[in-house]
This record gives sequence, structure tokens and C-alpha cells, in this order.
Amino acid sequence: MVTLNKRRKALDIMFFLLPSLFGLAVFQMLPFGYSFFLSLTDWDVLSKMNFLGLDNYIEILKSTEFWKVLGNTLYFIILYIPLILLVSLGLASLLNVKVPGRKIFRVVFYIPVLTSWVAAALLWRWLLSPYYGPINEILQLFGLNGPSWLYDKHWAMPGIVFASLWKDMGYFGLIFLSALQSIDKTYYEAAKMDGASGIKNFFNITLPLISPTMFFVIIISIINSFQLFPQVMIMTQGGPYGSTQVMVERIYTYAFDYYKMGYATAFSWILFVFIFVATIIQLKLQKKWVHYEG
Amino acid sequence: MFKKCLLFVLIVSVVTGMSFAVTTVNFMNFSSAGDNTQYLEEMKNVFEEQNPDIKIKIETVGFGDYFTKLMTLIAGNNPPDAFELNYENFYTYAKKGVLLDLAQPMEKVGFDESNINEMALKAFQADGKQYGLPFSFSNVILIYNKDLFDQAGAQYPTLDWTWQDELEAAKKIRELDPMTFGIYQPIQFWEFYKTVRQNGGSLLNDDKTEFTLNRKENIETLQFMVDRVQKYNVMPNDAQLAGMGDWDLFISGRLGMVVTGIWALPTFIKDCDFNWDIQVEPGNIAKSTHFFSNGVVISKDAKNKEEAFKWINFLSSSREVAKIRIDAGWELPAVTYQDILDDYISQTPPENREAVFESLNYLVTPPVIENIGEMTDIINRYLEEARYGEKTPEEALDAAQKELEEKIDLK
Amino acid sequence: MRGRKVVIRRVVFYVVVAVLAVFALLPFFWMLSTSLKETKALTTIPIQWLPEKPSFQSYLDLFKIFPFARSIFNSLFISVVGTVISVLSASMAAFVFGKIDFRGREILFGFFLATMMIPGNLLMIPNYLILRELNLLDSYTGVLLPSFFNAFGTFLLRQNIKSLPDSYLEAAFMDGASRIKVFFKVILPLIKPALTTVTVLTFMGNWNAYLWPLIVLTSKEKMTLTVGLSLLNGQHASDYNMLMAGAIISIIPMIVVYAFSQKHIEVGFNVGGLK
Repeated sequence: MVTLNKRRKALDIMFFLLPSLFGLAVFQMLPFGYSFFLSLTDWDVLSKMNFLGLDNYIEILKSTEFWKVLGNTLYFIILYIPLILLVSLGLASLLNVKVPGRKIFRVVFYIPVLTSWVAAALLWRWLLSPYYGPINEILQLFGLNGPSWLYDKHWAMPGIVFASLWKDMGYFGLIFLSALQSIDKTYYEAAKMDGASGIKNFFNITLPLISPTMFFVIIISIINSFQLFPQVMIMTQGGPYGSTQVMVERIYTYAFDYYKMGYATAFSWILFVFIFVATIIQLKLQKKWVHYEG
Repeated sequence: MFKKCLLFVLIVSVVTGMSFAVTTVNFMNFSSAGDNTQYLEEMKNVFEEQNPDIKIKIETVGFGDYFTKLMTLIAGNNPPDAFELNYENFYTYAKKGVLLDLAQPMEKVGFDESNINEMALKAFQADGKQYGLPFSFSNVILIYNKDLFDQAGAQYPTLDWTWQDELEAAKKIRELDPMTFGIYQPIQFWEFYKTVRQNGGSLLNDDKTEFTLNRKENIETLQFMVDRVQKYNVMPNDAQLAGMGDWDLFISGRLGMVVTGIWALPTFIKDCDFNWDIQVEPGNIAKSTHFFSNGVVISKDAKNKEEAFKWINFLSSSREVAKIRIDAGWELPAVTYQDILDDYISQTPPENREAVFESLNYLVTPPVIENIGEMTDIINRYLEEARYGEKTPEEALDAAQKELEEKIDLK
Repeated sequence: MRGRKVVIRRVVFYVVVAVLAVFALLPFFWMLSTSLKETKALTTIPIQWLPEKPSFQSYLDLFKIFPFARSIFNSLFISVVGTVISVLSASMAAFVFGKIDFRGREILFGFFLATMMIPGNLLMIPNYLILRELNLLDSYTGVLLPSFFNAFGTFLLRQNIKSLPDSYLEAAFMDGASRIKVFFKVILPLIKPALTTVTVLTFMGNWNAYLWPLIVLTSKEKMTLTVGLSLLNGQHASDYNMLMAGAIISIIPMIVVYAFSQKHIEVGFNVGGLK
């Protein structure tokens, strides 16, 4: 690590961290602490606030609803994470190729990220429609009978996963693209001199060098997936039979529809714990495969 | 000398300031979002002309986020002086002590209740006290495509129609084309609560102390609604609808009848290029129609209580506001001025506008309780299962009854 | 021989990309087409791809619903200022987390990460109460203050900075440069692709920010574009053609920012002579 005199170092650290620490303390930690206090009450936003201790937490963990929405969320995550890595890295590799017109393609593939979910939902509802949609028609060509997708309680969530992949691939693709662009070309030149080929290069050079970014993408997409919300609300409204009901929707409903803000806050805290644990696991595992230069 | 002048100017400005003291009333609403913003502005201008010492500051928030914002403001001790509430949420806000009891301002400012529709006025009472005034009201009717009826050789809906007549007509229209359907009536709480009444059933008992979800009459009603989709398929199931809106299905000429609110009329008038008309919803044992109303209320801790009351009273009962609404086609004023209402009836299309007022005779208010959010969600969940055929109507309503009894206390 | 192989590969490449591109653009095309339709059945299945009588009426109507032009300005102002604050603050913190060691560094970084795990709207009401205490309600400042903290950006940049060889910094310090100088003159240029990415994504986040400006701002003149568009979602129905027109206009600045940023991402820098 870099070394300079101690006092100077402390001042510098303060200087560089001050703006973030300000925001962190005032707009994250303070309200976060207050929200924990809220989760211990039965606050209904409009009138009463009585101290309940851990009653909200106990009630949530005892309810079947909590475990159901947790299960739905995990189902999404298990399907989504590996696929988004594959798809967005693949997309980034495609867009990294030096062909004329690549700049236009990069903008084109970013457009789904900008498209409103209302429009995206319309497209996907049509694609996945058991009556009118092309996906089932294509499956027919292979002799397969496609399921009812969004109207089938086992296949609705995979449908949501596909729609989410479509929408997010440009977002993570952009992140991977900048990582690919940052790779020092000399590595490849050296490899070429040693006679190495394309695929080998990918596994020996590219992957390790972008592993910090990969780690980043995994963490971010896990965190985002736990908070899955808009696409579910627009495409399936939690159905069929609550098979696509997710945690954030429950939190929002309890807070603003049922006036049970205390309960909703406790729910959020439990969600937070799950995300935290998942992230810690990732952080511990990173030592095994993430490779930082320097 | 100079100092004396300054003093003089100071005193004069204070005195004139005092006599032209202007109070501001903050008013938050959702129903004017979109096309109707200009009409609310018009109402405001008329009011400010009549009351030069009061200024109204209007804030409009889209319905989807209105309550999020309202609740945040109230939680932050920063509520608007006056605001709009739909009927379903009104009761909860009244019970939680957020609203001002209007008795005092009514006395101080004066209030003539004869100009307001009695039913609508009663709707905004809680525990015998008046907590709000009706701003607009609307109801639900049967809208039908005359051309499709002609093609299918079916008779137009009449006031004597029953569920059977409606089903027969729907079947005939369904046969016209695989993509054309006979009727659409959403199988969800807001339709269900009144449709059971058409069959003599009800979701709660009379004094709202008990749930009665699985009454025989309710089960029959749900069976009827579900049969439309599953047995006769005169109504599209969710997969057939594939996310298309029911209005759009009607507008594209592929739906014979749709049960929806009169707020659909401006859109249908603009977009339907076939002949259509409206009728009172058919009942089975009795007729029973829906009542929707948006009201205006005052915050308990508002600073300008009397001025705020003048404003909401104006919005609720004045002739000027009623006329602006009718001319704009912006829902209906809950007033008793017959000449203004006649004005509405005489407009066409649709021809049979009397049906809107005829429906008022069979009005049934939704069973509003403090935990209405939870109740509607639980019931909707089981209605969905019946709709998909996962549970029979009897199983669905039994399960709903059980869960409601467990989760909601109706003391 | 080799020339033909290259051509075939190129053609296949373009075909694959073209097919994917169509797939990517379909909903956008629907948005465009819907915005040009008159109000009629807008959500029909089968989807009607082309408007019967294209017209820009929806775009014009937007100006009647709320102060549309003003809201675009407000959104631009908040997004630009917010992004500048955010990216600067995040890169500064990322520098420390990436290259300056001190006791408790990883724990503090853990706190940063942890905030990303806090479910979105949990903090909304408490933050509203805080702004109320600071008397910053209905102000741009109130909306912008939370921008000082950007965990996402800090994280991404930290990954990048951590990957930079220490030898660069050693060299710069050896020349007697202060940390601040090193930061601006050495680090920032080296992480240009990542910096650009963070800027684009942060801008997009700020531009699309919805609930926070909705809660904090009350005056109509201060309303942002996203909040204004939500007015089109009525109690009973939504005006899809105007909604889509508004959404299209909303997308344009983001496409501009993204397209413009492309040249900064493609850095051909060749850090030679380092092995």
C-alpha cells in the first residue's frame, strides 16, 4: 500500500470521505435507526403508536405468507442470477467486437433499460401468451407444448425472469463492457506471442481480470432481486395464486394500504437481514475467485 | 420629518394589510389529475372571486401515489388543510381521528344541506358525526354494444332484465365470433359485494359485526359469475384477455356488454364508433347498484378551519361547481338541483342517461370497515382462485370466511 | 480462404445482433407508436403495431396537463447537480477504500454496502421527517442532499481502483504529489470507463427518481417530469398515449447522455511498459 506521513494521511482520509459520510450519517444511518424503533411499534401512520417489542417480528416469522413470498423471491434469484451473468457478459463481449456500427448497437441494447415497464410488460405478455404468443408457437415447432406461462403458478415466475433478463441485460452489459474495455491490451498481445487462442484467452485472461466487476454484478443483482417489484406489479399483480408475490409488495401494502407501518418496517428489517447474510456469504467467497491486480 | 413620514407609511401599510388579510387554504386532490385540471382551476377562480380574502393553493397528485404522499404528510405533521378522500378510505381516516368534525364550522359559516344528495351526505358521516362533504359521485351501469346485439338477434337490455336474460344475450353474442365475447364483469371485491346483493346475499351482517361470506346466496352468485368464464365462456378468462383492458375490448367492438362505471362514458363517447347505450344493471332477486363517491375533508389541526370549510362547502354544494362538472363531463355533482341534473340527462350519447339516476334507486354502499384494505385483499385472493377454477365457489368462500374471521376483528 | 471466413463470420455476427436488436427495440417501438395514436383502444391484443392516423396530439396535450416544459427543466437541474455531487463523492470515497489503508476501513466499507441492502422505501418517511426538522421541505436542496451518499457508485469505482497497480501511485507520490493531486491527475483519468459508467447510471437513477421528489416537493413549479407523468394515472383509467408520449420524451436525455458517453468508455489506452 501507499505510505505517507500519518497526520497528513488522516486528514486526507477525512477529506475524501467527508461528503459520503455526511450523506451516510444523516440520510441512511439516522433514519435506519429510527426505522428500527418504528418496527417495534404498531404505528399506523395516522394515529396511534404503541410499543410492541418484538411482536411484529414474531408474527411475521410465524406467518405462512412470509415464507411464501420469501420462497417466491428465492425462486426468482436462483433462476435470474446465473442467467443475467451469462446474458450480460455475452452481450458485452458481442458489443466489444470492433466492427463498424458497434456504437449504434450499444445504444440499441441499452434501450430496454430505459423502456418503461408498462411497454415491456405488454410485449412480454404477448410473447408469453398461451393463445397468441410466438414463444409457445416456436416451442410447438420442436414438438413441445408450452405452458400457460403467466397464468400458470409454476411458470409465472420464470416468465418474469425472462422479462427481467431482457430489461436488465443492457444495464449489466454496460458495466461489463466498461470492464472489458479496461483490460490492458498487452495481456492479449503477450498471449498471442505465446500462441494462445481465443477461448483460452477468455478463461485465462479475461475472466480473472474482470472478476472484480463480476463480483460487483453478482452482489448488485442479488440485492436488486431481493427487492423485485415493478415488473411483478405490472405483469402479474402477484398472481396466479400469489406465486409471484414478492416481499417488497407486501411491505408496501402493509404500510400504505393496511396502515400497518410498524409491521411493514419489521418486514423490511427482516428482508434487510436476508440480503445482508447473502452478501456476507458472497464477500467471504470472493477470496476464492476474485482477482485484484496491484 | 422623515421619521414621521416613515411611521405614517408603516401604520398605513399595516392597517391596509390587516383589512386585506388573505388566508391561504392548502387543498390536495387526485381526481382532477389529467384532463380535469382546468376544471378545478375554473372552480377555484369562481370561488376566489366570491371570496377575495381566501386563496386556494391546489396540489394534485396521481391516484396511484396519492395515499403514500398523504400519509407521509400526515406522519410529518404537515397535512394539507383540506383534501380529497375516496369513500373507501374515508371511514378509516375518520376513525383514526385525522379529520375535523364539521359541526362547528357548519354552525359558524352556515350550511344548507338541502342542496346535497342525502345518500351522499350520509356516506361521509362516521359515528353520527359529519366528517366530510361529497365532492362527486358515480355509479356502475351496464353498457352494451347495440350493433352486436342486432347482429346476434338479441333483445336490448331492459329494466326488467334478470341474470338469465343477460346470460342468454351474452351466449348469442359469443357465438358470433371466436374473438368476440358476450359480457365482461370483473370478478373482484367491488363487483362482488353488490352482485351478491342482487341475489339477496351480503358479505357482512347488517350491523357489520360479522362476516357472512359463505352464505348460500353468495355461493350461488359466485357460481354464476364463474360460470360465465368457465362453463359458458361468454366472458374471457385472464389468459384470453392477455392483459388487454376490458374497455379496450369493448371499444374494439368485440364485447357485447360491459359492467363498468359512468367514468367510462367520456372515453366511450370519444372512441366508440358503433351504436351503444346503457341500462341499469340487471339483478336476480333484486336490483342493486354500486355507489362510488369522492369527498372533501378538513384536517383536524388545520389552521384556517372556517375558510377551509367555505371552500369544501363550495365544492360540494354550489351551483357553479355543479354546472362546471356537468358541462365538463367530469363525474357527477352530488347535488339536488334538478335543472342541472336534467341538463346531464338530456346530453347524448348515450340515449338512456336516465339509467344513471334510475340506478341511484337501488344504491348499495360498499361495506366499509376500518380494515377495508385487508378485507378486500383477502376476498380478492379467494375470488381469484374461484375464477381460475382452483377452488369451487363454495370452497373459496368458506376459506375466505375462515381467514377473515381469523385476521380481522370487527368489534 | 481466410478472407471468406472473415466475411462469413461478419455476416453471422451482424445477423445475430440484428435479430437481438429487433427483440430489444420492440417495446420501445410500441411506445413510440402508441404515443402517436389517438385515444382509442390502446391495449388491444393482438398488438396493433402501427397507428392508423399518426398524430402528435398526445405530445401537445402533455403541455396542458401540467407545466411540462418546466418539469423537464426541473428534472434536468436535479439530475445534473445530483449526478455531479454523487459521482464526485463516490469516487473520492472509492479512492480511500481502494488504495488508502487504515484501521476499520473494511468495516466502514461494509456499512456502505449494507445500505444498498436496505429495502428502498423503508427510509422514506424517516427521511421526510428529517427534512422537515431541517426546514428543507419543498426545496431542491432537500431533494439533492441525500445524493452525497452513493453506495453503488462507490462500490463500482472501488472495484476498479483496487485493480490499479500500486506502482502507479508509488511513482506519483515519489514525485512529491499530494494525495489530492494524485486523485485528480492520476486516478480519475485511469478509471475513465468506470467513471463514465457510474455517471451514466447515476444520471439515469436521478432522472427516473420518483417517490422522493414526489414526497418532498409540493409546489407545481418545482415538479419533476416523472412526478408530472404520474398525474396521467387516474383513479379509474390511464391515458396511455400521453403516458407513452411523456415516457418517450423522458427517455431522450438519457439516450443522449448514454450515446455521448460511449466515446469515453472505449478507451484504447495501452499502459505500456508495465510488466
